[in-house]
Parts: sequence; structure tokens; C-alpha cells
Amino acid sequence: MNRMRTACHECDLLITIEDLVEGGRASCPRCGHVIATNSPDGMTRSLAWALSAVLLLVASNLFPFLSLKASGLEQVMTLPGSAWALYEDGYWTVALLVMGPIVGIPSLILAAVIAILIPLRQGRRASHLIPAARLTFFLNPWSMVEVFVIGVLVSLVKIGAMATVVLGISFWSYVAFALCFIAMFANLDPMILWRRIEAVQS
Amino acid sequence: MSAYPSGTAAAAGLACCHVCSKLSPATLHECPLCGSALHLRTGNSLQRTMALVFTAIVLYIPANVLPIMTTTQLGTPEDSTILGGVVLLIHHEAYPIAAVIFIASVMVPSGKLIAICWLCWSVARGHDRSYEQRTKLYRATEFVGKWSMTDVFVVAILVALIQLGGLLQINAGPAAIAFGGVVIVTMLAAESFDPRLIWDRLEEVDD
Repeated sequence: MNRMRTACHECDLLITIEDLVEGGRASCPRCGHVIATNSPDGMTRSLAWALSAVLLLVASNLFPFLSLKASGLEQVMTLPGSAWALYEDGYWTVALLVMGPIVGIPSLILAAVIAILIPLRQGRRASHLIPAARLTFFLNPWSMVEVFVIGVLVSLVKIGAMATVVLGISFWSYVAFALCFIAMFANLDPMILWRRIEAVQS
Repeated sequence: MSAYPSGTAAAAGLACCHVCSKLSPATLHECPLCGSALHLRTGNSLQRTMALVFTAIVLYIPANVLPIMTTTQLGTPEDSTILGGVVLLIHHEAYPIAAVIFIASVMVPSGKLIAICWLCWSVARGHDRSYEQRTKLYRATEFVGKWSMTDVFVVAILVALIQLGGLLQINAGPAAIAFGGVVIVTMLAAESFDPRLIWDRLEEVDD
């Protein structure tokens, strides 16, 4: 990334970034807020993680997530089935509150990130780059894939006392999806992405 | 002297876009790159944040008083609240899980509300010199927000999985909606607090 001027988002100090090398990180000298992290080959890696995440997220919705065995009865839970159970209980708000942050919002983010990175890596301009980037960073705080993984682990311990729980294919693919999703954002720096968009659009 | 400390974008008459980080003259109303609204500071940041904090406090009452789920074992329904669930886990000696739920559902939301109130109050009062510590506190409240959803996810999984008819069945309770509301509203409150306000009094105090 070349020399550029910006201001810290957290303390408004004017900052000039001279030249951010690959693997380098720029922080605010006054408050320490990270301004930009230039991960090597960030866009290519981010795209690779995003594409893997799409496949894993699809798999997570197709197969059994957890299954339960107690007193000769067996109960299988899938991710869409979990939302359906809440909906049938009359708690459609809770169903939305759960499926939004763990499936809906991450899907929108993945679609937007892939739609940005494919043309941007080839240096092509496209009218959707700016709205897609705005959508990505607007939605990011509301995706809760890692929180859901912890929630599943807590539930396993809670149920473990009552019955035997078997982890399904979708459970493992969701854990892998969460890791890919986090890795995708770790390689996608907003500051660098916006400067690339700015360069392509002008 | 300008109303803003020297060295800041605002003092130079520049506004940094909160979405794409592009610097533009503060006289523009819209970022020329991404089209987001441009302003020197988030409008009515303290009022908006405190309004959301009060909403969260109001929602926090039903979230703790009403049952978050109902367990029906052999036909006998039993309601459990958030705190009741923690106590039950301690009885079962599942201490690490009890700690996770207690931290995520009790300590994080209430600690966050206290932290945001204190940040708003210290900014409004304007004598506090602990700029860096308060910025760190703000970052912590922003980071920790979504982790409170753990309990709502746990309820969702239990409801979906434990449907063994008359033998054992778990249903969601109204506190799940209220608690989900608390998490969302506190996240919005942290988002509407503008941390630059902490640093705006830098020169006044040092004079």
C-alpha cells in the first residue's frame, strides 16, 4: 500500500501511513487502534477461505447436526430443523435471532466478499463493488459463527448428563466453516480493500 | 482555538468516513467514494447511547424474571430462568459450563451496561484524564457484545434436539426473546458511542 493520509477512527488523530509492507501493521500512535493490517496475498487468501466457507456452510445445512439417543429413542437435529422447532413453538423471533447471525448474515457476507474479490483481483471495475463492500462491513458485527460453536459445546455438556449425543457431519462442517469464515476476515483488511476499490473505480 | 484538539482531522476541517476511511472536507455531507453520510462526530452520540442503555435495562428485567426454557420430564413441566440454569449446573458440578453461562449471560451484559454508562458520564463531565484506559474499555465493550448470545443459542439447540414426546421435552420461554433483545440493544448502544469524544477534551484539561 502506498503513502496515504487518514484519521484514526477511535481518536481522530491525523495519520500519514508511509508505506505498509506485506505482513506489516499500522496502528494509531496516540490510542493504539489498528489502522490497517497488510497480510501477505490478503485478497487471494481471503477469496480462497470464502469459497471454502461457502461449500462448508452448504454442507452444514444438509446433514444431521447432532443426534440424541435416550431410552431407545433417537432424535436427529439439523440446522434448518432447529429453526423450524423454534418456529413451531411460536418463537419465530428467536428462530430469526438464531438463524440470522449463524446462517443468514454469514451467507450474505460470503456472497458480497466473493462478488468483490473476483473482479478486484483482476483489477476490473464493477458498479457493485462499493455497495457490496458497505454491506460486508455493515453486517460483519452481526455474524456470530464463533459464538454459535461455543453455544453448541455448552449444550453438549448440558445434554450429556441426560442422554448420549452423537456429533453429525454438519457439526464438523460448521466448525470448519467457522474457522474459514474467521480466516477470511483476518485476511481482509477494510482499509486496504477500500483503497483498492478507490484505485479501481477512479 | 478550534473546538477540537490540534492534530485531529476535525481541527483541520476534515472528516474521516466511518465506512471507507477516506478523508474529505467536513463541508461535504456525503463521502465522495462510498456515499456514506459524513460527519465530524456521530450525531447526538451520548443521547442515543443512553436511550439504548435504558431500553436494555428495561428488557433485562423480563430476561431474568421470566423462564428462558421449560423442561417437561414425564409430563411434569419445570421452568428455568437464566440464573436458575446456572445454579442447576453448579448442583450438577458442571463448574466450567456454569462459569461460561454466568459470564456470558450475567456478567457480560450487566458489566457492559455499567461500562457504557460510565463512558457516557465521564465524557459528559469532561474532567477525566484516563484517555487510553477509557478507549480500551470502549474496545472491550465492543468486542465482548456478541458473546452474550451463547445462552440463546444453547436454548435453540436444546429445543431442537430434545423433543422426546412425553419422556423428555424442552420448549423455549419468553425470556429468550427479551434476552436476545438485550444483546442486540447493547450492541447498538456500543456502536452509537463515539470514542473520539473521549479524546476531544485533551487540550482543555491539559491547559
